[in-house]
Amino acid sequence: MELPNFFFADLPPEATLSPAMIAEACEVLKHNREKHLLPRTTREIVKTLCGVAAEWLQPDNPFRRLALERGPAETGFSRAVLETGLDDFFRRFTPENFRALLRQELGNAVSLTGDGCLAVGDEESAGPAVRHFWRGPEFLVHIAAGNLPNPALMSLTLGLLTRSAQFMKCAHGAAFLPRLFAHSLYAADHKLASCLEIAEWRGGNHELESVLFAAADCLTATGGDDTLAAIRARLPAHVRFLGYGQRVSFGFVTREVLRDETIGQVVARAADDVVAWDQNGCLSPHVIYVEERGAVESDQFAERLALELAERETRLPRGKISVEESALIVSRRGIHETLAVQRADVKIWSSHDSTAWTVVFEHDVRFQFSCLNRFIYVKPVPDVAAVLQGVDAVGGKVSTVGIAAPPERTRELARQFAGWGATRVCPLGRMQNPPLTWRHDGRPALGDLLTWTDCENEA
Amino acid sequence: MNIELSHFATRLRRLISVGDDVRSRHSICPAGFNHEPPHVGSDIKDFNALALELFALQFQANSAYRKICESRRLTPPTVGQWTQIPAVPTAAFKELELTCLAPDERTAVFHSSGTTEQKPSRHFHNAESLAVYEASLVAGFFKNVPSDCRLPIADCRLVCLTPPPSQVPHSSLVHMFETVRQKLGAGKNAFVGRLAAADAWTFDAATVAEALSSAGDAASQPPLLLLGPAFSFVPLLDYLTEKRLRLQLPPGSRVMETGGYKNRSRSLPKAELHALITDRLGIPRENIVCEYGMCELSSQAYDNVDRGFALEALGDNAARPKPTAPRLFRFPPWARGQIISPETGREVAAGETGLIRMMDLANVFSVAAIQTEDLGVRRGGGFELLGRAQLAEPRGCSRMAQ
Repeated sequence: MELPNFFFADLPPEATLSPAMIAEACEVLKHNREKHLLPRTTREIVKTLCGVAAEWLQPDNPFRRLALERGPAETGFSRAVLETGLDDFFRRFTPENFRALLRQELGNAVSLTGDGCLAVGDEESAGPAVRHFWRGPEFLVHIAAGNLPNPALMSLTLGLLTRSAQFMKCAHGAAFLPRLFAHSLYAADHKLASCLEIAEWRGGNHELESVLFAAADCLTATGGDDTLAAIRARLPAHVRFLGYGQRVSFGFVTREVLRDETIGQVVARAADDVVAWDQNGCLSPHVIYVEERGAVESDQFAERLALELAERETRLPRGKISVEESALIVSRRGIHETLAVQRADVKIWSSHDSTAWTVVFEHDVRFQFSCLNRFIYVKPVPDVAAVLQGVDAVGGKVSTVGIAAPPERTRELARQFAGWGATRVCPLGRMQNPPLTWRHDGRPALGDLLTWTDCENEA
Repeated sequence: MNIELSHFATRLRRLISVGDDVRSRHSICPAGFNHEPPHVGSDIKDFNALALELFALQFQANSAYRKICESRRLTPPTVGQWTQIPAVPTAAFKELELTCLAPDERTAVFHSSGTTEQKPSRHFHNAESLAVYEASLVAGFFKNVPSDCRLPIADCRLVCLTPPPSQVPHSSLVHMFETVRQKLGAGKNAFVGRLAAADAWTFDAATVAEALSSAGDAASQPPLLLLGPAFSFVPLLDYLTEKRLRLQLPPGSRVMETGGYKNRSRSLPKAELHALITDRLGIPRENIVCEYGMCELSSQAYDNVDRGFALEALGDNAARPKPTAPRLFRFPPWARGQIISPETGREVAAGETGLIRMMDLANVFSVAAIQTEDLGVRRGGGFELLGRAQLAEPRGCSRMAQ
């Protein structure tokens, strides 16, 4: 299957974009939005999105097939990892999940184009005292990062719900999956897709970006702190800026689930989180803290996780990584192997003749940045207080805490991690699979994009 | 005192200082630097035997190293080739005392540079071990830095952009410069730097520029050797640029720069640094020499880009100038490198990238087989240095938007 040249990202690599081309595209997108997107109801948009997602889940869907065939070369993930990750993502696209998202984000508010937020549902409440109208940005720009597609695809989805014309600038070499998603929207509803543009260039191209920034009224950007600061400094004052900086995540396994009957499942869930997207996202764990004095000891947990990762490698192989990334893994392994020889409290398990996976067990409770690509630290702790102490250095930078605990402890743990500042607490095994209602970095998912009008009635 | 290691050290120093072969112009063996000595005609023909002998001695005398070897099931009776000798990661020097010297024999220690929060690597020495280091560095330095035989090296003036050894006794680089200074008979004022707050190295750029400026001027002036880490050149060049000064150092003058920037100055790509040195100091490119060394090693590699070696090594015909040719590093005969694929742990093919692993016979009293964290490209009889692998941004949502 060959994709038609519809988006900038479809152009051959030798084609160069000019500021005039960007300016023209911005005008066309805004025009198309007026014509094709503003009149839509939320119900119609959700229906289209759910239909497209359902298609992606079909084995013979041409976009899915293309993603899986060319994805490994384009993105660096193995076919099986891509398949699992994309399926997990598109399974979230159901009317019920969208309804939950809209209810959470919009309450009883009404879009300016007249259709209620609950247009997909039927729970119109009776005459509130205050009416609220919302409207989305006219022209929403996304500066997307990386090859992990979920954040980019979710940004486009939210932008459709706010009925915004959207221009997504992908990181160099990372447009492949957003582009396929946009083409699948085009195949389902070309008018809807005519309000989207996908392009790719190396960040920091001021000539192109200044045109784009001038046209925007809202911009989302994902990246390191320096990148975000640089973008923000170049934005006109009236443009709303939503920056998503670098975040890290970790897991916590309590002693109650470290029993013979449950250990297999807990280990499998930990492996799910390490394997998903090859541990490359903000939501992937760097460290798994394991409570001591369980029936299964923490170092046995680490050993079983190593066996599980070895098994996963046969089914869900890690993608090819650069020599620099391999070198980092080897250097890290070297440190821990050396220590393990001298000290009984450090252990390491790793794949032979490859860097495919590594488990390091060490008693130091301090949070340790992993070099990722399936390199996980397992650290024993006496209790949750030790975890909170250990992660102190990454306070304010933590996205997700994945917990394996009995229900009676989960609630209290969630409260403690929330109080500490984590923006998401979820069951271990679901760290890379947040629900549609997920508030990225603790910010409202849709709400951050919107502008409101409150209309107060006479008392 | 380990008599056998002492004997080994004495023999090695004799081999190093034989002179003729070491200081003769290199010729490259087409088989490359992995299986064949890079210096054909050197007097260390029995490198493999020496390496195995040293391995057996270090296995005996260095308990931390012995444990590492045993855990890898590689012990002297099972190892027949120097390439199989277990290499210790440089980072292990931070955690372990990788030395054959008893605590009361350690009279000096070199630390790795880096940020102050990190534990430094520690390489312990005593008088004998320093003597080997000095023999190795002197032979390497005088072979490579003033390699032009017409350069009257004895008359050279020396300027080192570092603090003097009294202020930084744990710097192996400054110990090297001090050894060179003594060999040249230069004054102690050759060191123009000093130690500032937070262990930073600094110097007064204006004073140094003034001194260099008065050194220039005429062909009658003796040539100058200007040595320093790359991060020391940056403030000097910035100062000259800011003041719009262009110095013309005397003909035959040379610059030796080494190492990365370690966040001590802004970093410049190598080519840019060298272009600035040429522009602001009047040193032609062929007179700028790069050194690759570290506190965990006792021998250094030098590049020889414009002296024909790079071209030969790359298989180019004859000595056609090729300004864009990568700078190739080579070690002296008593040290050999391998470029190891991090993914497979095996040696890479020519033209491929991997981690630099060293067998440095001059590391007599510590560990000779060292696994560095630096990446290099294997090329002919040497390697192109890429430097330390950086913690890449993850590919996911936190990757830089580029």
